[in-house]
Amino acid sequence: MSPWLRLLIFLVASPIVGGLLAGLDRKISARLQSRLGPPLLQPFYDVIKLWRKETIVVRRSQNLFIGMFLLLVVFTGALFFAGSDLLLVIFALTLAAIFFVLGAYKASSPYSFLGAERELIQMMAYEPMVLLTAIGMYMVTKSFYVHEIARHPQLLVLALPGVFLGFLYTLEIKFRKSPFDLSSSHHAHQELVRGITTEFSGRALAMIEVAHWYENVLLLGWIYLFFASLPWLGISVSLAAFLFVILVDNVFARLKWQAALKSAWIVAIVLGFGNILVLSLLR
Amino acid sequence: MLGFRQSPWLIHYDASSCNGCDIETLACLTPLYDVERLGVVNTGNPKHADIFLVTGAVNQQSREVIRNIYHQLPEPKVVVAVGICAATGGIFRDCYNVSGGVDTVIPVDVYVPGCAARPEAIIDGVVKAIGVLEEKQRDMAAMAHSIDRTLFLRAEKEDVPEILALQKVAYQSEAEIYGDESLPALQQTLPELQTDFDRMVFLKAVVNGKIIGSVRGYQEDASAHISRMIVHPYFRGRGLSRHLVTGMEQAFPGVRRFEAFTGHKSKRNIAAFSRLGYQIYKTEPFTPLVTWVYLQKDLHTTPPSAPESKPRSLCHPENGRALAAAAKDSARIHLSNPTP
Repeated sequence: MSPWLRLLIFLVASPIVGGLLAGLDRKISARLQSRLGPPLLQPFYDVIKLWRKETIVVRRSQNLFIGMFLLLVVFTGALFFAGSDLLLVIFALTLAAIFFVLGAYKASSPYSFLGAERELIQMMAYEPMVLLTAIGMYMVTKSFYVHEIARHPQLLVLALPGVFLGFLYTLEIKFRKSPFDLSSSHHAHQELVRGITTEFSGRALAMIEVAHWYENVLLLGWIYLFFASLPWLGISVSLAAFLFVILVDNVFARLKWQAALKSAWIVAIVLGFGNILVLSLLR
Repeated sequence: MLGFRQSPWLIHYDASSCNGCDIETLACLTPLYDVERLGVVNTGNPKHADIFLVTGAVNQQSREVIRNIYHQLPEPKVVVAVGICAATGGIFRDCYNVSGGVDTVIPVDVYVPGCAARPEAIIDGVVKAIGVLEEKQRDMAAMAHSIDRTLFLRAEKEDVPEILALQKVAYQSEAEIYGDESLPALQQTLPELQTDFDRMVFLKAVVNGKIIGSVRGYQEDASAHISRMIVHPYFRGRGLSRHLVTGMEQAFPGVRRFEAFTGHKSKRNIAAFSRLGYQIYKTEPFTPLVTWVYLQKDLHTTPPSAPESKPRSLCHPENGRALAAAAKDSARIHLSNPTP
């Protein structure tokens, strides 16, 4: 498949897939709490409604940053699915997250400040592991290019079991799910109101939601990369990873930021770095 | 309409009383009732909410909080008063610190009876609220689409109650700025406004038969006084006030000096008048919280404003009268509740 075609499919399909996954998340969470839960299409209804609401801002520029956030997340996903450099993907994704944080800082509210600070802490927590994932994939496939990694004949996960588990841990943080829903929780009445998204309403909030859909598809695509030589296995493991994240979300309470940071770095060092160390020693 | 019907997000607030209705509101989220199956999310953040559920009677401490939350909800929004205390004050009605139901502070759209209101009744209230929400959204979309066809007309005697209702809505933002609800514009009663109508010139801005802006003025000696420039919060920043003020200036053709006043913290109003050539010439303390800022435009010293700002429809009074008549026939659009 040509990179342009993959790019087009990503741009069109990922909001649909991401939205359906978000709906599935709410449905499964509700079932785990023995509730019926909203319909599968609920996230789409929410975004349509938010798009029609009045947009209240503290400063007009805060929504510009959210626009940049959405744009960069889409750009990052496009890079990834077009088969570009994995390092570039990581840096673009970080830049996107930084724009989100800047938007929240711009809003001058104590809740969104605290949410933004916690988002930065979360970024500090997951960045090392994400970088180690890219390095681990390079060590096995001798390339940072996604299209070459995907064409590798062996299952990457066999050489990188530690990195895979570490990336799964990162996924939990990136999805902003319990026990790492520090910066913004989907559950009501947390101590931060809604943390980083507190001051966003209407279209800006809708854009944040859509950006998360794109981001989630990108991250699940990354999980797929570990199993790329067996496509069907890859797709089922991505889906299983998503269900695992939901299960963990419903089972765990929120960690304090210190514990989140410490545990994420321990995981990165032990599983990620350890795995890479073993790889380089075995060679 | 897709969206609003499936996705009502709500915020609840317990104003006072026994907390029973608030507990029943939260009971709606439990597996037994599970309102999330209707798309309801209990947000805890007014900026994300569509429906404001208030339980309990209003007391001196909670009125500010209620008003504050109400203003942080983005339009369109609906208020549901849950339980008899929120509707009328209930058994706390005669307490020295209780001012009555929620509608003594903000406009209420749906009342849910009960003491405590049962979860089934609360869910029913939310479903009713969704209907109101959709209606408001439809009206606003229709009006926003035809904002460029706004008519600027002389108000008539029958318009006075609607103008008063608009005044109360428009001045909410001023009360918010000053933290003071005793502003004269918010205290004005219908008979007072009717007396004003007899001695002043009233202009109105009309869209789809609904008054969304108004201004009044009167002549005293050689000066014309322009006051109570009101525009519905949803339609601000679209140049309505400019049309209204210039229209009012033209209503006094012989007058060379115009005067207006506003509060010292109302930066938007001062900026709007400055753009029209008004200058601050004196300030005067009114209450400890509010200082009046007086602005004037003296045509003896300043050149007259450009003719392009002339309101169009004032030139077509017959056209306007027909529309006003049509408006009276059509069902009243409730952008905001009429004042009691």
